[in-house]
Amino acid sequence: MLFRHECKKILRSAAFIVYCILSLLFFFTNYFSDCTGKEDVGRDGLVAVEDHDLIMEGALNSLMEDYNSNKYICYPYGYYKAVRLKGSKRDKIREYLKEITGTDEKGFEELLDKGEAYYEGYSAEAQYGYHDIPVKENFSYDRFREIMGDVDDMLGGGSVYRPDNLMYSFSLVPMSEEQIQAEQDGFYKEDRITRGLARLFCDYTGIILAILPVFVAAWLTAADKKRRMEELVYTRKTSSVKLVFTRYAALLCTMFVPVFAEMVVALLEALSVYKGESMDMLAFFKLPTVWLLPNLMFTTALGVLLTEIFSSAFAILTQTVVWFYSVMIGFGQLAGRIGRFTLVCRHNTPMERNVFLESRNNFIFSRIFWTVVSLLIMLLAAVVYNAERGGRFNGIRLFGKDSIFRRKA
Amino acid sequence: MDKKIVIKGMNKFYGRKQVLFDIDLTIGQGMFGLLGRNGAGKTTLMKTIAALQPKKSGEITVCGVPVKEAAKIRSMTGYLPQDFSMYPNMRTDEALDYLGALSGIPAAERKKRVGSLLKKVNLYNDRSKKIKQLSGGMKRRLGIAQALLHDPEVLIVDEPTAGLDPEERIRFRNLLCETAEERIVILSTHIVGDVESTCENIAIMDEGRILWHGTVSELIENARGHIYTANIEKRYMAQIKKEYIVTGMVSQAEYTTVTIVSDSEPDLPNAVLTEPDIEGAYMYCLRSNGCDMKGGDE
Repeated sequence: MLFRHECKKILRSAAFIVYCILSLLFFFTNYFSDCTGKEDVGRDGLVAVEDHDLIMEGALNSLMEDYNSNKYICYPYGYYKAVRLKGSKRDKIREYLKEITGTDEKGFEELLDKGEAYYEGYSAEAQYGYHDIPVKENFSYDRFREIMGDVDDMLGGGSVYRPDNLMYSFSLVPMSEEQIQAEQDGFYKEDRITRGLARLFCDYTGIILAILPVFVAAWLTAADKKRRMEELVYTRKTSSVKLVFTRYAALLCTMFVPVFAEMVVALLEALSVYKGESMDMLAFFKLPTVWLLPNLMFTTALGVLLTEIFSSAFAILTQTVVWFYSVMIGFGQLAGRIGRFTLVCRHNTPMERNVFLESRNNFIFSRIFWTVVSLLIMLLAAVVYNAERGGRFNGIRLFGKDSIFRRKA
Repeated sequence: MDKKIVIKGMNKFYGRKQVLFDIDLTIGQGMFGLLGRNGAGKTTLMKTIAALQPKKSGEITVCGVPVKEAAKIRSMTGYLPQDFSMYPNMRTDEALDYLGALSGIPAAERKKRVGSLLKKVNLYNDRSKKIKQLSGGMKRRLGIAQALLHDPEVLIVDEPTAGLDPEERIRFRNLLCETAEERIVILSTHIVGDVESTCENIAIMDEGRILWHGTVSELIENARGHIYTANIEKRYMAQIKKEYIVTGMVSQAEYTTVTIVSDSEPDLPNAVLTEPDIEGAYMYCLRSNGCDMKGGDE
């Protein structure tokens, strides 16, 4: 059976062995080590609330401090970046601060002097923190958001002042007893422990399934060419669609093997930690399949198609960019808030069941969307393969002596 | 069914460069040799027949099936490429089983065919060896086995004996002849000896054109009266090579007996007409068709 042969080929490859090692390493250093003890449900938890006063006060004081030191910490695409503003941009921040505090030039200077000196790390240079600078009375929250949006733009994005992020940056309050109880009920009764843990498992595993499979997919797709046996395969009776999809199925099945093993280990760990508690024994198999398979399908499909058209190096490079963007786009909001087109869904906690459920429709949509996109990519891959097989298309080379750029030159 | 390959007015381009020119050829059952220098266009022609490359114009039918019906052509054609290679870590029988699966042969039949073909190519005892452990000759025999897996009506083999030692070459040629009893076998080669000992019908290609086609004896007959031998003092050898096409040299104590191709009687002492062999006939064919014969010793 062709499928069995393709699976054996993959299982023997160095690319697959490296994939397994990295996958298991990631699992044990992240999920497994996070879940060795019982979750302290809600006891240390903070909850984000839509409290406009709290948000405005927190953001204002933070902006005062950043303005005074002229050092704004941002994470554009997840990268740490200390931004320093000059000239008109710095003046504009000053104008905004005066508008929010309702002060004139002299009053603002007085506010700046209220900063409390502190020393960061081993630095000898004092920083000035602000805690009690008040917002102008009856200041409009809409206008405040507008200003924060402009500030974030000036900083290049990824700052704590991003309007979507304000609540999570400046309006976190300790959970009430009722909220803690609700979290506990959600974790133990509704999620029956393993559903919550399975979400955390998916959060971690989804990250690597959006990048690692491209290496194996690119290897398998380029294997015939590398072994100079593509003509042997091209001249066989099997249709291009059957061959391409059989190989795709083999890639998906084999690459899910380590994930499946991790699911089993995660379940055994949960059984050991939560001994005697009622658990959903199938949660580790149901949710990860729905959550993770689209990641695996898309990454693999893109790897196959781009390797066919360009090269394995180009496929890996492209997928790295896609992965980086997908993972970093949700930086700073690791629970819930899943978009309709989110590839890497994040929920970096076994708690906050309700936050996840709020995004459930988007989650389902995104899973279906990426599954359909993956299948369409594979159909295109079959068309490209068929054209290569008949000598009507020989791929596009971006580098080397056959590069399209050289040919044009 | 009409067991022949018919090519009419076929042209092929790589981009804007024409590589095959107005090819007309009919290939019947049995061994057919396609002879030509490296770069003559043999591989391109074979790949086009095997539906691996498209043609620009003209017609090709394989046993009555137009070559554009690639799926049908694939099911009736076995192909052994010039650089035959397989996954090095696969076992010999496993490699055949894999290619059989790609050919859509059911598992039970595959098992039987793999065993019988391995016996036929004398690799049965090496069936558990990995591909990377096989010698060059063994690999070529495995190549023939894989091409015959689905019992094709047409077998296309491209430069199969290059790099083989004489014993392996003879064994391989015999194997090809055995397989040609019931099918069309096209043997592409630049080694004239391969064709002489196996093929009744041949075609000679150069620079994308068919220069000549017919039987081996007709080719030899064509060259009759144009092949000479002469005894030459060694010091004149360089000059002789410049002026004539030398197809053979036997070095002796003070002189060398050379076999040369010439349209007219050469101006050499002791030059006598000799019975042409296929190598001389092939060289004469190239020369009489105006091919550039420079190279070799330069």
